[in-house]
Amino acid sequence: MNNRIYRPTLVAVAVVLGFLVAVAFNTTSKFVISRPQRVSDLVSVVRDMEQQQTALQGRYSDLRDRMDVLEREAAEDSGVRESFSKELERVRLAAGLTAVAGPGVEVLLGDGRDVDPDVDPNDYLIHDTDITAVVNALIVGGAEAVEVNGERIVATTPIRCAGTTVLVNSARLGSPYTIRAIGEPERLEEAVLNDPMAALVFGPYKAQFGLEVSIADVDDVFVSAYRGSMRPRFAASIKGGDR
Amino acid sequence: MLVLLLAIALGVTLGLLTSVSVPVELLTYLGVAVLAAMDSSLGGIRAALEQTFHDRAFAFGFLTNTLMAAFIVFIGERIGVRELYLAAVVAFGMRIFDNLSQVRRLLFQRWRWE
Repeated sequence: MNNRIYRPTLVAVAVVLGFLVAVAFNTTSKFVISRPQRVSDLVSVVRDMEQQQTALQGRYSDLRDRMDVLEREAAEDSGVRESFSKELERVRLAAGLTAVAGPGVEVLLGDGRDVDPDVDPNDYLIHDTDITAVVNALIVGGAEAVEVNGERIVATTPIRCAGTTVLVNSARLGSPYTIRAIGEPERLEEAVLNDPMAALVFGPYKAQFGLEVSIADVDDVFVSAYRGSMRPRFAASIKGGDR
Repeated sequence: MLVLLLAIALGVTLGLLTSVSVPVELLTYLGVAVLAAMDSSLGGIRAALEQTFHDRAFAFGFLTNTLMAAFIVFIGERIGVRELYLAAVVAFGMRIFDNLSQVRRLLFQRWRWE
């Protein structure tokens, strides 16, 4: 009678029941207990990230401040540099240290060809004085840049006779001489033709000795840069201008 | 009785030791299955006490009850009436208490006889 209850299937179902209860317990315990844990985890994560954010925001504003400072410095630097380089460019242009181009005239001075044996051969030649006269006349006419056969006329340029050649700067030049000047073409031409010395060359001498001289307006004259050295050894500039 | 309690304890131990768990979505199925198992166990004890226990009928009863309960939960979720599983829960719950009262009565009768 007692043993009647212990049916194998009943026992099996009892085991299944226990197992199911245990599984349910496992599941719910994981589900229920894990929730507050996760919440506290998330809370700490949020706190960490907020701290990180604050730190990063601090660094960000620091870096922005530094960037502002650097940008301002850079702007000042580049402003100073720009004005310096502009000034330098202007000075170099005025000193003849840069090649320049612009409207102007081209003066050609060539020795005479039809040489008469009875006449002094020097009369058929272009002399340093002729070149000097033309260059002076051009400068009087407002020439901003002058060159003779590629030799730029600067403040310290000598033009002198050296045997059968003419010395401009330290270069020996021979006939024909091409003098290029930048300025207002009409004024330059007028100045050359009105110069007493140059007028002789372009007038009577040309006719008498067959000098190959001419003057022409040119829209775009190219004048080369001074190539010599410019190192004053004795002159020292005085600040503030006059004594 | 002791054997049945030991069997339940064995099942619990097995479950805890293997620490098997199911996804949270299936928790309803598990609960209904637990109720079905409880109902079947009590029904089996009652049948045994009434001398009407049949292994095959008991096994089939357990299986069909569990499957039907699971099906009701499933259908409830599918048609948007998730509370449908309450039907199984209420039915099993009523049967559990009904069976429990019968088992109690029969046990009392038995002990008085002895």
